[in-house]
Amino acid sequence: MTESPGANPYPGTFARAWAKAVSGTSYLPMTQAQLESLLDRLTGQLAGALLTEPFDLRAGHRVGAELVAAHIASAEGLGRTVEVIQLRLVRDLGLVAEEVEDRMARLLAAVATGYARALRDRTLDEQESIRRAAMRARTQAERALRASEARFRHQATHDPLTGLPNRTLFTERLAAALNEPGRGAQRVGVCFLDLDRFKVVNDTLGHQIGDLLLATVAERLRKAMGEHLVARLGGDEFVILVECTAGTDDMVAVAETALAAVRTPALVDGHELQISASIGIVERQVAGANPTDLMRAADSTLHWAKSAGGARWALYDAERNQRELARYALSAAIPAALERGEFYLDYQPLTSLRDGSLVGVEALVRWRHPELGVLRPDSFIGLAEETGLIIQLGGWVLAEACREAEAWSAGGAAAPFVSVNLAVRQVHRPGLVQEVRALLRQTGLPPERLQLEITESTMMSTAEEPVRALRVLADLGVRIAIDDFGTGYSNLAYLRDLPVTELKVAGEFVAGLRSPSVGRTDERILASLVSLAHALDLTVTAEGVETAGQAERLRAIGCDAAQGWHFGRPAPADRILARIR
Amino acid sequence: MQRPDWAPDTIDIERPSVARMYDYYLGGSHNFAADRAAAQAMVAAVPEAPLMAQANRAFLRRAVHHLADAGIRQFLDIGSGIPTVGNVHEIAQQLDPGSRVVYVDVDPVAVAHSREILAGNEQAAVVQEDLRNPEAILAHPDVRKLLDLSQPVAVMVVAVLHFVSDDDRPAELLRTLRDALAPGSYLVLSQASDDGRSEDERAEAERVYRRTDNPLWIRSRAELTALFDGFELLDPGVVWVPEWRPDTPESAEDAERAVFMGGVGRLGD
Repeated sequence: MTESPGANPYPGTFARAWAKAVSGTSYLPMTQAQLESLLDRLTGQLAGALLTEPFDLRAGHRVGAELVAAHIASAEGLGRTVEVIQLRLVRDLGLVAEEVEDRMARLLAAVATGYARALRDRTLDEQESIRRAAMRARTQAERALRASEARFRHQATHDPLTGLPNRTLFTERLAAALNEPGRGAQRVGVCFLDLDRFKVVNDTLGHQIGDLLLATVAERLRKAMGEHLVARLGGDEFVILVECTAGTDDMVAVAETALAAVRTPALVDGHELQISASIGIVERQVAGANPTDLMRAADSTLHWAKSAGGARWALYDAERNQRELARYALSAAIPAALERGEFYLDYQPLTSLRDGSLVGVEALVRWRHPELGVLRPDSFIGLAEETGLIIQLGGWVLAEACREAEAWSAGGAAAPFVSVNLAVRQVHRPGLVQEVRALLRQTGLPPERLQLEITESTMMSTAEEPVRALRVLADLGVRIAIDDFGTGYSNLAYLRDLPVTELKVAGEFVAGLRSPSVGRTDERILASLVSLAHALDLTVTAEGVETAGQAERLRAIGCDAAQGWHFGRPAPADRILARIR
Repeated sequence: MQRPDWAPDTIDIERPSVARMYDYYLGGSHNFAADRAAAQAMVAAVPEAPLMAQANRAFLRRAVHHLADAGIRQFLDIGSGIPTVGNVHEIAQQLDPGSRVVYVDVDPVAVAHSREILAGNEQAAVVQEDLRNPEAILAHPDVRKLLDLSQPVAVMVVAVLHFVSDDDRPAELLRTLRDALAPGSYLVLSQASDDGRSEDERAEAERVYRRTDNPLWIRSRAELTALFDGFELLDPGVVWVPEWRPDTPESAEDAERAVFMGGVGRLGD
């Protein structure tokens, strides 16, 4: 009653129709012949299931699952399969069975069930696998990102030349050492190290050698410092961070070690280089310390070591720092003080030793500081010279002195000249001649009543311009005096070349006149100076004359004039003028 | 799904990936919602899209079969995508388990997936690289380890070249690959083409492709033929992919609907 499907020619009509129906429903990784052969086999199973008694659902499930396994795995694939089985299986195979419609319905249900189950499993598997792949890719990307971040972080925190931590990392570590909770009671220190005269290496041997030397020094410091952080801040500046110090002794030991490491001669590209370093040491308790102050203190301390000659360490000294800070603050306040009119002039008499008359006065600047009271020039002139503010301040002094001095001639009697100190920068500045000329014109002060005091060091430079300027001023009639003569190089050559009118002999020679033993020598020096000056047609004024005895001996030597407490302390102009009226 | 901040752009599964869209066209489930949405949009515009993918995959299968029959045992598949059903190593290693296959793709998820599928397969590997960087592909340690370039290799550049713009000089890329190959090697090439289409159709296609993340660079039969420079084209030359040595005459019907043209060339001695 049944016809074996195997009896059909291979592949059967049905299998070919089925293959055609599912073609294109999804990608099938096989040839049409392979597909037909597969479906032919499944056709046999379907026919068997339709005819077998009792009816076995599992045969239908298996066919459904096999279709999916063969990648005939789409909704359309199932739809067309159901359609083709329903329409053609019984007919094409000439199947004869009882209740065939009923059995066909159950068979199709079983195929669809098996198919749907397998497709669902396959879909879930594929979803899981692609999700896993995405996760793995993401993990990998994250790892790559972290690695590149770590690389980037290393580059960002290390110096490429020496491989040492750079300023960024050092700053982080210092901040951590100071700010981490629970560290307040600990102490921390830094050594700020700078190579001495490193620029000479670069300039003479080239930057390549300089760089190699830096790398050598860096490597030595790293080795010598062990666990302490050594960082390169830039150029030839290094810094060592020492955490948990027991006191300054620890830091000094670290600094000594570092200096010794640098001091050993280094063989760099065939050159044996001996280099030294200077170190500024700061050591303090963590509580209350902050990185900015600490590094600023280390920097100033380093400069102390440098200005003491280098090849040494210096230890931070709060008082010294305070003084320097105060000095700095003072110099910074000069421009505003000039505007507010806080400066004024006192005058000290220059008295003739021949007749006791007042020949001149030296203008001395005073600063009526709103908080510090009246300040004498020695507390701010040096600073003004360092910072360049002396140009402004000196200009004001010169103008004020000319202005006041002009008024003195109204008194009738021969008015004294006014002597004004000029700083090196003022003399070397172009425009000095114009400035003086303008002042004389504006104030009406006769040129011969102005004396400019310059120091020997002003003339040390080889520049031609200052000499020319002084000569023009001298030709105008302005007096030129050499201040503090005898303490510097006392180069006699410029006395011949310069249009000098007067020598002011430094007070220390005069001071020697007090004690009989030293006094002999000083007296002889003074006497020689006076005769030398007179030979050059110069007048001599002695400074710092404090006693009548000194005045007497100076007069005996032939000194022309004198200045000092014995003849009058610096005082406001009206008090001085009272003497000549 | 929220994408974590640290995930680089390349692993954004909310952006459609052409590799996973292709898998969707083939009937696979190795894809995410964004891929399916993009693929469905494509199907709405170009109903043949799944057919294109399937026809192209069938071309790949027939080409690998042919090359394996011709004695090729080394395959370099560039732009391999999601290597699921009917991939090169399945076909080639079924015919000869000693066949060696290196997959190359730029999509990190596709590469991770390939790695999973290939786990335990000593004769196959996957490399994350860009077709536009052929020197890096050729120099990659896994390529060097698995493939002996002094022996013939089949280089597959299947359904990927249309993502390479003319500015990236596809001819030069292929020449770099060719110069590294031994005589007797093969180039299998296919890509989207508009050959024989009217101006209107071409404009419509370009408009659709421009909407996708990866604009397609459609090339004519002549342009594709020129890319086989240095290779001898096997019969029937550069054709619509269903026409390339079809299993049955019927399967080559309506071939131009497949949109892809392809061919196989042999590097002479």
